[in-house]
Amino acid sequence: MKKILFYLSIILFSTALYSQQKHSDIKVDCSFCHSCENPTKNEPCIKDCPRHTMITVHHSPSEGPLEIKIDILKKEKDLYSPVIFSHRAHSEMSQMGGGCSMCHHYNPPGRVVACKECHDVNRQRADLRKPDLNGAYHRQCIDCHKLWSDDKGCTYCHAKNSDSGKNKITKTVPKKDRIHPEVIAPNKVVYNAKSGKNKFVTFYHNDHTNLFSLECKDCHKDESCVKCHAKEKIIKKQNKTLNQKHQLCSSCHDTAKNCNNCHMEKVTEGFNHKIKTGFDISKFHAALKCRDCHKKPKSFTGLKGTCSNCHQEFKAGTFDHRKAKLVLDEIHAEIDCSDCHTNANYQKPTCENCHDDKSFPANLPGKKIK
Amino acid sequence: MATQGRRDFLKSLSAIGISTIGVAGITPSITKASPENILSKDRMGVLVDTTVCIGCRKCEWACKNAHDMPSGSIDDYENESVFDNKRRPDYSALTVVNKYQNDKTGSPINVKVQCMHCDQPACVSACIVGAFSKKENGSVVWDESKCIGCRYCMVACPFQIPSFDYHKALEPEIRKCDFCFDRTAEGKLPACIEICPVEAITYGRREDLVQVAQEKIKNYPERYNNHILGETEVGGTSWMYMAGVDFKNLDFPTLGDKSAPGVSESIQHGIFSYFVPPVALYALLGGVMWISKNRDKKEEN
Repeated sequence: MKKILFYLSIILFSTALYSQQKHSDIKVDCSFCHSCENPTKNEPCIKDCPRHTMITVHHSPSEGPLEIKIDILKKEKDLYSPVIFSHRAHSEMSQMGGGCSMCHHYNPPGRVVACKECHDVNRQRADLRKPDLNGAYHRQCIDCHKLWSDDKGCTYCHAKNSDSGKNKITKTVPKKDRIHPEVIAPNKVVYNAKSGKNKFVTFYHNDHTNLFSLECKDCHKDESCVKCHAKEKIIKKQNKTLNQKHQLCSSCHDTAKNCNNCHMEKVTEGFNHKIKTGFDISKFHAALKCRDCHKKPKSFTGLKGTCSNCHQEFKAGTFDHRKAKLVLDEIHAEIDCSDCHTNANYQKPTCENCHDDKSFPANLPGKKIK
Repeated sequence: MATQGRRDFLKSLSAIGISTIGVAGITPSITKASPENILSKDRMGVLVDTTVCIGCRKCEWACKNAHDMPSGSIDDYENESVFDNKRRPDYSALTVVNKYQNDKTGSPINVKVQCMHCDQPACVSACIVGAFSKKENGSVVWDESKCIGCRYCMVACPFQIPSFDYHKALEPEIRKCDFCFDRTAEGKLPACIEICPVEAITYGRREDLVQVAQEKIKNYPERYNNHILGETEVGGTSWMYMAGVDFKNLDFPTLGDKSAPGVSESIQHGIFSYFVPPVALYALLGGVMWISKNRDKKEEN
């Protein structure tokens, strides 16, 4: 028992340290957020901060609850039953938007503040500047849902209390793993610049996601649901400046010079690292991000197709040859790398130095593994 | 022997008489003929934020239920075809929600319409029998027992709110929002305020609400037009509106800051104060008499 208490105290102490650590990052006076002199975790005495000077901390979706039954406002006689809110699904979707702060607009370091801590449960109240809890909940949901959903009636989220049996269950309890369905992304998009000789920019979306391992949110950040879900296209096409048009690409590519890298006379083939550069990344380097090898910002040239570009530490005894799917036998394990890999590109070994070309390279220097 | 003299008897008799008259004099002063028009500093009000309203029409349903009017099924209120026409409050609905197109943002604007509960109500002023009164809590209410059905209130109202039971032959009523006077007397919220899912209508002291509205405009200048409808219009109203577009586009009448009854009352009360009509009448008659008397005298001569 004592042991458990000891470990527990260590955990508590470390979490306290953690939150203090985060607090120290904030360059504001304590009294900016706290109304009392010595705020504690249980009684943080947090002030009502105005919305535009909020402090936000990012939490990953898995840190939050899977789903929440919002029944704090439940009364004896209600038209509708409480909503079961799929928190994880929504927080994952929010990754493409503004993250946690899309809903948790007041988010001090340490922990996430629940709606009810600021918004009054009672509609008859002293402070009328913020909506009450009922209003706050509904505004939070409806602000997005009204924009894109065809079914924006109350029963989209609530079950009616007069409903019984089947109808009720299907409406209120979402499947535990209910999540945003997989987005059908385009393979390629052809942009027509409409001016100049080289009009066409062929953008291979699947290359960027599969080959270059970009995540959706790397490019699609600060996007609202309406971007895809608008019932009517209410967002008018804006006249973007040249910079705005290139903004997304220029976060990785240098768009200021060499326009012809992307702007072509005709629609082009997708990018194949092996054909274009001679270096096949599909075997061992597929999971890497571009930036792992191409470390110079906005430049994807200048690397030779040799291992030593990145793997300078490859020496006998330091490299686990199993990574290359081949376990060297006892004799070969002790030979210097350059004895076999004479051309320093480490792709195909040369066996003729030691072996006659009849038995080798047909016989491998060790056991092949998968 | 202490005998009561004639003088003492008369004294006590007159004392009783005066006190009786006094009591009798007080009682009628409560039910005096002039309209009740209290403007309390703590009067309540409502701030309608049209940028928040989602047009669910739950307020319409709750209002009908609170006033024992036929309300129908709540599911029928999700039918959006009613928004095709602009509606006005009438005998069957004391409040209605209308939908307007919003060219600025694209998402529609929903506007709830009901009595504004003016601080200087024209209906109270126009009613010749005192059936309308402005109560201490800010509500303007109508008393069935006094109404004679002249419908002057309907003509006087700058927002054209009071409606008449035209379809009823017997005992037709003037109908308008009463700010849920009975519910608020019990400490409950007005029915529409209680049911609104997004709290697009905020209930509170009028003074506080003006402050809240001003703060909102200051903090979100892109969201709101710098105009709180009802803050000063027709001398101020208990219900006030905020919007992201000009109120002209939302079918609100353009009204000055002068109270509607201000002009008419000053003329009427001016005429009838200081015994002007009787004095003027007798002066006129006296003049006529004097002239005719002089004429008689001349003829005699």
